Amino acid sequence: MADRDDAATLARHIVLEGRVQGVGFRPFVYRLARELNLGGWVRNDVGRVSLVVQGSADAVRQFCEDLIDRAPPLAEPRIVSDEAATGEISSDFSILDSDSAADAHIFVPNDHDTCSDCLAELHDPDDRRHRYPFINCTNCGPRYTLITAMPYDRANTTMHGFALCPACHDEYTSPADRRFHAEPVACPHCGPSLHFRSETHDIRSNDDALAAAVDALCAGQIVAVRGIGGYHLLCDATSEHAVQRLRTAKGRPTKPLAVMFPPAGDDGLDTVRASVDLTSDEAASLAGTRRPIVLARRRADDALAPSIAPGLDELGVFLPYSPLHHLLMAAVQRPLVATSGNVSGEPVLIDIDDADTRLARVADAFVHHDRPIARPADDPVMRTLDGHPRPIRLGRGTAPLERTLPVSLDTPVLAVGGQMKGAIALAFGDRVVVSPHIGEMDSPRSLEVFETLVSDLQSLYGVRAERVVCDAHPGYATHRWGRRCGLPLTTVAHHHAHASALWGEHPGDDPMLVFTWDGVGLGTDGTLWGGETFVGRAGAWRRIASFRPFSLPGGERAGREPWRSAAGLCWEVDRQCPVGPSDAALVRQAWQRGVNSPTTSAVGRLFDAAAAIVLGIEAVSHEAEGPMRLEAAAGVAGTEPVSLPVEPATDGVAIVDWAPLLFRILDHRINPAQRAATFHDALARNILDQARRARAEFGATRVGLGGGVFQNRRLTDQAAHRLRDDGFTVLLATSVPCNDGGLCFGQVVEAAAGSAR
Amino acid sequence: MNPDDKYISLAHGNGGRFMRELIADVFARHLANPDLDTSADAVPLALDSSEVLFTTDGFTVQPLEFPGGDIGSLAVHGTCNDLAVAGAIPKYLSLNAFIEEGLEIAVLDRIVASLARAATECGVHVAAGDTKVLRRGEGGGLYLATTGIGIHAGGSDLGMDHIRSGDAVLTSGTLGDHGVAVMLAREQFGLSGDLESDAASVLPLTRAAMAIPGLRFMRDPTRGGVAAVAHELRQATGLGVRLNQSAIPVRDPVVSVCEQLGYDPYYLASEGRVIAVVDADDALALLAAWRALPDGADAAIIGQIDPEPRHGVVLETELGGERILEELEDDPLPRIC
Repeated sequence: MADRDDAATLARHIVLEGRVQGVGFRPFVYRLARELNLGGWVRNDVGRVSLVVQGSADAVRQFCEDLIDRAPPLAEPRIVSDEAATGEISSDFSILDSDSAADAHIFVPNDHDTCSDCLAELHDPDDRRHRYPFINCTNCGPRYTLITAMPYDRANTTMHGFALCPACHDEYTSPADRRFHAEPVACPHCGPSLHFRSETHDIRSNDDALAAAVDALCAGQIVAVRGIGGYHLLCDATSEHAVQRLRTAKGRPTKPLAVMFPPAGDDGLDTVRASVDLTSDEAASLAGTRRPIVLARRRADDALAPSIAPGLDELGVFLPYSPLHHLLMAAVQRPLVATSGNVSGEPVLIDIDDADTRLARVADAFVHHDRPIARPADDPVMRTLDGHPRPIRLGRGTAPLERTLPVSLDTPVLAVGGQMKGAIALAFGDRVVVSPHIGEMDSPRSLEVFETLVSDLQSLYGVRAERVVCDAHPGYATHRWGRRCGLPLTTVAHHHAHASALWGEHPGDDPMLVFTWDGVGLGTDGTLWGGETFVGRAGAWRRIASFRPFSLPGGERAGREPWRSAAGLCWEVDRQCPVGPSDAALVRQAWQRGVNSPTTSAVGRLFDAAAAIVLGIEAVSHEAEGPMRLEAAAGVAGTEPVSLPVEPATDGVAIVDWAPLLFRILDHRINPAQRAATFHDALARNILDQARRARAEFGATRVGLGGGVFQNRRLTDQAAHRLRDDGFTVLLATSVPCNDGGLCFGQVVEAAAGSAR
Repeated sequence: MNPDDKYISLAHGNGGRFMRELIADVFARHLANPDLDTSADAVPLALDSSEVLFTTDGFTVQPLEFPGGDIGSLAVHGTCNDLAVAGAIPKYLSLNAFIEEGLEIAVLDRIVASLARAATECGVHVAAGDTKVLRRGEGGGLYLATTGIGIHAGGSDLGMDHIRSGDAVLTSGTLGDHGVAVMLAREQFGLSGDLESDAASVLPLTRAAMAIPGLRFMRDPTRGGVAAVAHELRQATGLGVRLNQSAIPVRDPVVSVCEQLGYDPYYLASEGRVIAVVDADDALALLAAWRALPDGADAAIIGQIDPEPRHGVVLETELGGERILEELEDDPLPRIC
């Protein structure tokens, strides 16, 4: 480091990247430099922070250490270069204007929960932002959902229309202030405000609007509240009547509803713990700045309405994550159902007019505000799998998700994901950015949000995709979009993308064994896969095993009618199907003749069949309802080992026969819980069995579990446990959902690996 | 014709006696009309209009006979309906029959008789014809092709280029009946019950519609159903189409079969229905005109032309949701996951 002639003083020019914008990094640098009596400057380049410091050698060394070690809570700085600085350096440290002409190394910051400093001010009667629902600073507040362009400056946010009052302006321009360049900075005088509206009221004062919302909620009404990344529908989670009303109005009879709890106790989770049991990791996730919904074990003695999550032993819980939510929860002092304000399956609504129209039949009252939301970010969801909370859905606070690619791309790529759980990824060089969850892609609004994100991600990151990657299924809305977008198109088989998503998180030269189990996806042979085993690496997957194929009578309709999967299995082995309509003769005839009865090897459909047979679930109102209830039904029941025969490969693909398991779950002499437990157990055993064969044949010791089926905690935990006991390394998704929400990431990895060879 | 010959043989197509007798005993006997001269190479046609419309269509339906119709009546209705929705009154048909060796002559006779009845009902004369016999295994029993000539009926000037954003979309009746009836018959599901093809002449419907001044365009929703018509509209106009699920009439037995077999009725064919696009101000007038007709009792306003073309064809669902009705793929595969 000592490369200046004068040993007593040093001057360094340091460039940092990573999460360094919108997180209070420059004020931190400023304060640090002042503290150490250093001269120089700091400046935002596009996506990077560039700085020069000069001073005593000791102080500069200290500065370099503290620069990383003491960085603000939301910052994740990485030093790109650190060189001797030359030229004239001012002895007075200053913050220079952004250089927007520089190259793109942009990191778009995520939205973050209100920090402790802001919370203290929020509840301090003497503070000028006492009870102000839009309080924020450089350490917290909305980012992704209000940025309209980069670099991250107020003019490039949805706050640009709010002129700063003198007091806010002083904070905004004082380098030593926590709100120095806090772009969404606001106060009751100059910032956004609430608007409560119901049939009888129209209130525009913050406190009164809030009070009206609290009254409505406590009276059992449904209130649509505009938050950070969109609207919520809120109602009293302890009122069965309110929850039932919400379910009826939203046309959502059984889908579990997330519950927001008022913070209490040291870690804020006392009230949450009254309803669910939390692991320490779950508690840390819940209380962290990203504030995800965490699916946790529901306590039998909770005080919530029974219909919050019927038939399940888990509950989606979370804490408030914006000052508005903090104020609401502090006032109602009871758990509230907080479900996305949308029409089922569509993206969460963000605009006032849209919400007014489309939620009119659901909400009794609205709490609007006038800070525009640039783009939706639904609440993120996590579930503990194999001991760690893992993402089920990316959203507010967790997306856009940034990762480094194991294989660099020559040209920027846009991956458009699948049909359900839509999400997109933009990749360039060795970087990939995954969008928040969009929704099911069959609605016009999903496609609109999809197109907005396609355009926004490219403009925010200053990257133009030159190639599009999509799923091979020609009926997916995203595939059709890819065909008409005008860019060169690469298709990736659904399960190759699932496998590559895992490989992308756990790259390596050793052959990786991946189980990709899910609902169905188009395979390279034109049939519907979903119980596939691959060995290899991204760009070079070899399919080595699959489940015994069977036909799904009624095709796509099997998704909402699990009895069809049961019938497809039973009829395949010439058994009577114990569930389904009393007269299924026509369906059976169609199945026999192959009319709209496509062939599949999907384990997700085995789960549906088991749920239908064991629990009598013939029709469901939301995706994976059958498997979720089957998992819950297994409880602590004992199991009887069932081994699934693996017929050796004739064409390179071994076939796993589900028949012995079907016979077991058809056996009415065994109680349902035990059959449900046995079903999970048999599949976990089969994973180990297959893995051992693959280790013997291919030397594979790294085993990945990917695809929506592995959101099942029971199966995943048991399989991981068995594999590890047998000496395997188990690889699960850690930052990208293992379900179809992660397809876009896998598509990028697959495309990068494919083009690299 | 030799009464012992119960099945078509290659000799029925060789230009000899068998062929002459087949034409006389089956085709000429049923189709006899002043314009048909089976011995002439060509016939003169009298057309008292300067605006002549002309169309052709081929028919390969399986099975040849199905509840509510057969390939013979379909060959008349199909071509006459194409003329009718274009605003014409059908006048003459030509008929080509490609008969597979081995077809039971009694079946052929029934089909030609049905074809003749349909022609009479539509007011058209079959004025020219030809038969060919295909070797066994080379044809599905019987293929027919008809070419139709009609004259303009007067009234509205029709065309997709007249369609404007905000126009209403109507159906003259329930949708998907033909598709479901034929599919059930083809797969020999042994389930007919209430299910019949809607195959019929739409001429009364189109004539009534032509009297509505704001009528822009008509089409019969055959292959690909109302979804295919909507996609044609979208492509031709550059506008969107919004359909209202709860307004689209589908008969209960059709709904039931679709639910059981996993089909979407919006993609299933009708053979006796008209989809019309009409100025929104005239939508109720057309609805009333259709409902006054025996075949229009179930007529309904099912959607509108949308200025927003971005999402093509959108189905508004009963719960206030919206679903994109994609253009039909060759072989729709499930997208469930």
